[in-house]
Amino acid sequence: MALSIIMVDWKDQNIVLSPTNFFTYNMELSMRKKIIVIALFFVFLTGLFSCGQQEEQTDTSKPKEQIAASTQKSDEAAKEQAPAKKLKAGFVYVGPVGDYGWSHAHDQGRKFAEEKFDWLETVIVESVDEADSARIIDRLIQEQKCDVVFTTSFGYMDDTLKAGAKYPDKLFMHCSGFKRSANVGTYFGDLYQMYYLNGIMAGALTQTDKIGYVAAFPIPELVRHIDAYALGIKATNPKAKLNVRWIYAWYGPDKAKEAAQSLIAEGCDALAFTEDTPAVIEVGQEVTEKGKQIYTFSHYSAMQPYGKDSVVSGQLMDWGGMYAKILEDIHTQKWNNEDVWWLTKEKAALLGGSPTDMINPKFVPALKEAMIDSPEFGQISAYDLVMKRYEQMKQGVDVFEPFTGPIADNKGVIRIQAGAKASKEDLLSIMYYVDNVEGDIPQ
Amino acid sequence: MIKITTSDRYDITPLRSLMTNIFSLVAGLFVIGIIFLIAGVNPLYAISEIFLGSFGSLYGIKETVTKAIPLILIGAGLTLAFRAKFWNIGAEGQLLMGAIFSTWTGLTFGDHLPSYLIVPLMFFSGFIGGALWGIIPAILKIKYSINEVISTLMLNYICAEFLTMLIVGPWKGSTRFGFPGTDNLPEAAILGVIPGSRIHYSTLILSLICAVILCVVIYRTRFGYETRVVGENPDAGKYAGINFLKTSLILMAISGGLAGFAGVGEIAGIHHYLGYPASVSSGYGFTAIIVAWLAKLNPLYAVFSGLFFAGILVGGDAIQISLGLPAATVEIVNGTLLIFLIMGEYFLNNKISVHVSTKSKG
Repeated sequence: MALSIIMVDWKDQNIVLSPTNFFTYNMELSMRKKIIVIALFFVFLTGLFSCGQQEEQTDTSKPKEQIAASTQKSDEAAKEQAPAKKLKAGFVYVGPVGDYGWSHAHDQGRKFAEEKFDWLETVIVESVDEADSARIIDRLIQEQKCDVVFTTSFGYMDDTLKAGAKYPDKLFMHCSGFKRSANVGTYFGDLYQMYYLNGIMAGALTQTDKIGYVAAFPIPELVRHIDAYALGIKATNPKAKLNVRWIYAWYGPDKAKEAAQSLIAEGCDALAFTEDTPAVIEVGQEVTEKGKQIYTFSHYSAMQPYGKDSVVSGQLMDWGGMYAKILEDIHTQKWNNEDVWWLTKEKAALLGGSPTDMINPKFVPALKEAMIDSPEFGQISAYDLVMKRYEQMKQGVDVFEPFTGPIADNKGVIRIQAGAKASKEDLLSIMYYVDNVEGDIPQ
Repeated sequence: MIKITTSDRYDITPLRSLMTNIFSLVAGLFVIGIIFLIAGVNPLYAISEIFLGSFGSLYGIKETVTKAIPLILIGAGLTLAFRAKFWNIGAEGQLLMGAIFSTWTGLTFGDHLPSYLIVPLMFFSGFIGGALWGIIPAILKIKYSINEVISTLMLNYICAEFLTMLIVGPWKGSTRFGFPGTDNLPEAAILGVIPGSRIHYSTLILSLICAVILCVVIYRTRFGYETRVVGENPDAGKYAGINFLKTSLILMAISGGLAGFAGVGEIAGIHHYLGYPASVSSGYGFTAIIVAWLAKLNPLYAVFSGLFFAGILVGGDAIQISLGLPAATVEIVNGTLLIFLIMGEYFLNNKISVHVSTKSKG
């Protein structure tokens, strides 16, 4: 008190420092404070009530799984039959579902399955650090009572396997891994065939005979994609060389941008990539708008809107069918831990950079003009070659497999003998560059 | 006419300090409530979900304690550095360095030594790793006047890249099929856990012991006194003949070393191998900065604030799963709480007087 009296506006000469005077000031002040506090409290309270009412009225603010669960209940009540056994599935995502790449595609697949089956309920957790996956799996099992958990990042592999041992009566599906146990299965949809088709187009379109690839991590999946892309390039343009930049991130728009710019600076004019954002495409579009045509290939989601003058085609992944199949197998107790590996034949891997066009109409004339002497089809345009190969891929790897020998690595060693086809095991462990890729895989 | 003046407050009692903290938290939760309201969920329900998700079930409590272990260790270490006004933002790197050193020890000697030798050895090497990474910025600051905020922050990235280099290169395990990451640590080098949980109790006990010892060091020893003088009145410290280099080196060795301990706990207690930086630590070194502040730079309080923040992080999962809000919500909650706590600190240390002069009204 004493202190504050002294400091009351000492600059203000007019003020009278009398005890009565000061008391009234303080009185006024504390009254005001109280009024403000009370007013705020009421605002908060009314806010709470209005929110609660809103929720009851519209139900829209509730998360989807709750809605699904409630509609499901009413459906069952309507049928008044023995309720089908319900299944609750938890999904663990490494990125935000809005990343427009990997996690987004998985979430689309989950939604597809959830809409398809009325016995299915799903919950998701996004942006889960690999360091935290064990905790999240525990929560999905213990707190959310999930029957099956899908872990959708390679880095979750060991934690998924440990969880399988910890909860023997639950099922686990790990995406992109190679370790399985009695109740832990693996699944993957691979895009390497689409990279091959993209490579055919890149080889036909490049002006500089230098083609680039922005890659996330040096693991077999990426090497397989790079090699498939290179084999496609080789099919139309044996002179062209492929340059690779590693960015060591699945989600790294800034790094991807830098890598794309450095590839362009070195003369590359066709870029494919593995990274979860349209960063590379944005660079391609930017440079194209400045007058230098850069050809890019969209990855995972339909990214053509980000580069309408640059995106030629791309790879699309549809997890919906696969999730539906796996969940149905679990529901009908047909599930086993066999690796689920889906390609173009199963309609998991699709060609295109947009949901409507397989190839951007802007580049179709150029691709139709580019003629190639194909050992199998004779004189054929790049466009027709892509379509023919795509049709073959839809029939299965028995009809056409990009990794058909002779294939030599870029050190001159023959890796696949003439006429032989790479087995699934060969593809899953591939760690060499084919002969038109420059440089070495980081060791 | 309203005038607002501030003056230093001299009558800070523990009760007032506690009340300020509680009020700041409540005010912070109030603002968070408004954010939830905008997102269309009932704030009381959301906030209760956070705390029920972390403290409301056995699962939640076990996970909260597991997550609190590194936060307590690093947070306690940071209180010492922050008391000396040595702004160590590099605990994340120090944690990773501890993880690197202890992984090396575990993989090299784990097969030949019994558990009771290899575990202390790993903790020792982890401490050394973290301490080495901690004293670099101390030397840079005292000898060359390089701002420690910059140097500690940048050393985080260097350490993360160094770790990545090790696991994609020379340390890549033979059992990993070409994927980055070391082999698993041998059985003897793996820390025991409380059955049915992931609480690696040796690290938990170590963290509590460290907090108590640090408390004694700060308040009862000459070194602790020197640390405070260095922070609060460096000029007086100089005249009193305090050796700044020595004090800084020791305090950063301790601060970094405790972060190193946390790294050992994460590797030997939870993951059992060295993987990418993001799979070793989910930003504990940064979260612990908030923990240290919330603890009012008292290592013993860091135990409670560590548990509190671990609770918010673990409860944050519940926000996502039960409410369907995006993961970023958890970070908004954390950031808002921190801002309010720091504001509370200001109001605790400064007296604010608002005065209305009647004369100027007329």
